[in-house]
Amino acid sequence: MNKRLIIIILIGSLTIILGFLLTVDRTENWSQAEIELLKSLSLSALPAVPPDPSNIFADDEAAARLGHALYFDVRLSGNGTVSCATCHQPTRYFTDGLKLAVGTSVGLRHTPSLIGLSYSPWFYWDGRKDSQWSQALAPIETPHEHNSSRLEIAQLIVGDQTYRKNYETIFGALPHIPESPTTASPLGDDEDLKGWKTLSKLKQSQVTEIFSNVGKALAAYQRKLIPGQSRFDFYIDELEDTGKRSSLQLSEDELAGLSLFIGKAQCVSCHNGPLLTNHDFHNTGVLTISGQLPSMGRYEGIRLAREDSFNCLGEYSDAKKEDCLELEFAQDSNDLVGAQKTPTLRNVAETAPYMHGGQFDSLSEVISHYNEAPTSLLSHNEAKPLKLKNVELIQLLALMHTFTAPLATATKWLRPPE
Amino acid sequence: MNRIPFALLTLFLPLFLTSTVRGSEAPDITVETASGWIIHVHSDISPLRINEMHSWRIKVLDSESEPVTNASISVEGGMPDHDHGLPTRPRITSEIRPGTYLLQGIRFHMPGKWECKFIITAGTRQEIGLAEFEL
Repeated sequence: MNKRLIIIILIGSLTIILGFLLTVDRTENWSQAEIELLKSLSLSALPAVPPDPSNIFADDEAAARLGHALYFDVRLSGNGTVSCATCHQPTRYFTDGLKLAVGTSVGLRHTPSLIGLSYSPWFYWDGRKDSQWSQALAPIETPHEHNSSRLEIAQLIVGDQTYRKNYETIFGALPHIPESPTTASPLGDDEDLKGWKTLSKLKQSQVTEIFSNVGKALAAYQRKLIPGQSRFDFYIDELEDTGKRSSLQLSEDELAGLSLFIGKAQCVSCHNGPLLTNHDFHNTGVLTISGQLPSMGRYEGIRLAREDSFNCLGEYSDAKKEDCLELEFAQDSNDLVGAQKTPTLRNVAETAPYMHGGQFDSLSEVISHYNEAPTSLLSHNEAKPLKLKNVELIQLLALMHTFTAPLATATKWLRPPE
Repeated sequence: MNRIPFALLTLFLPLFLTSTVRGSEAPDITVETASGWIIHVHSDISPLRINEMHSWRIKVLDSESEPVTNASISVEGGMPDHDHGLPTRPRITSEIRPGTYLLQGIRFHMPGKWECKFIITAGTRQEIGLAEFEL
């Protein structure tokens, strides 16, 4: 056989093998039930941001623009150095890269991402807030976060000509707000409480209304923060389209990780839906935060939510009683002791460290934790040991990197307004 | 028939069958108690799925197939494999017609095996029905 013929046969064989590899349809590896489950995880299955009946300005563009300006404004803090963007940084997928948040001082919890959070009925790791606008108010009056007060915020809105004009366009005419005292809140320290008592009931109500509207504007802005489609979504979407080859989107390790994610590793039990979270609360036996008492989690969170004057049933909510189903029918049983909210896995590879206290520095540690499922100090760990092999842990880790993508949010919202 | 259309037909056949059943107003869950009472559950989202707050209409018939009226019904449940209960605290808010009750505030948050226990008290009788289903 001459050399030319051998070369032709070799090239021909390689072409056939390569062609076969490229046309292998990985969809054959998934059962119909698995394909259905995978489709439910794609961002293509994400509906529009659900309405928030407690905030009639939730989808008001002018309110979002006002919220955008407020979000980046350090004047919303007692010492003039902290804004919402200090901890929820757009360049870090609205997290801060720290174990515990640092506002005016070190906080008690790890900063969660804000991306896609408008789909959640509950806010904070323990769900102590039942709307995005009421959540946005709490850090402003928390000493280790913004360390400001509702009176200072009302004074800022009234005193800044741009804020004043934009606020009045959206919410109506502003009342007179006194310049003294300089701080006042029913929730703060002695000075705040003292200042609060100097205000008439009417002034207290007017100040709180301005404050709650600031929260509503901040929420209108945050509703713009939506995750973008990643390789994970492209892969799943192509499963529906037999005209394309899905095998090109994910590597062998990533595909094996995906199979584990929806199967043996049971990640999808809680990390389900297009945002890869069920927005609910689970005790997964995570270690107590160093230097703190064990967190009671959702058990305490739901009790705080019910007492919150800014909740769905409160006087500053725009909702009717029948709109407040989540609050009305919320579970509060002992099961929820130590339960923390399931975070989204969207962009998770870029949002270390992890868990409610930043207890784990890396995703490898998180995956190992779930593989071992240690006994919980408080109540019980819902997760059971997975007994995954080392190679499977690596495959799951590979999958986590496929959830990363630029946001589906216009870039103008990701930097301070001009 | 070539392979792909045949595979597609096989794929969609269960969907057609499901639609037929749904169209006939079949209950999503039916449970029988020890004394032969029947509990029919019609969900307002069908098929049942996770992460959606919704309501159930619960129709209770005694062993003579007569509606059980003025009953008090509580619904408990959870996932035995995960040792936790329901993520919400649903409750009956009205008897919308004799023997049919409206349960509001039910939501499931995880795929897998669920249990729901219906405790029905009518006069001096108490009946318990246990439903097991997969989401």
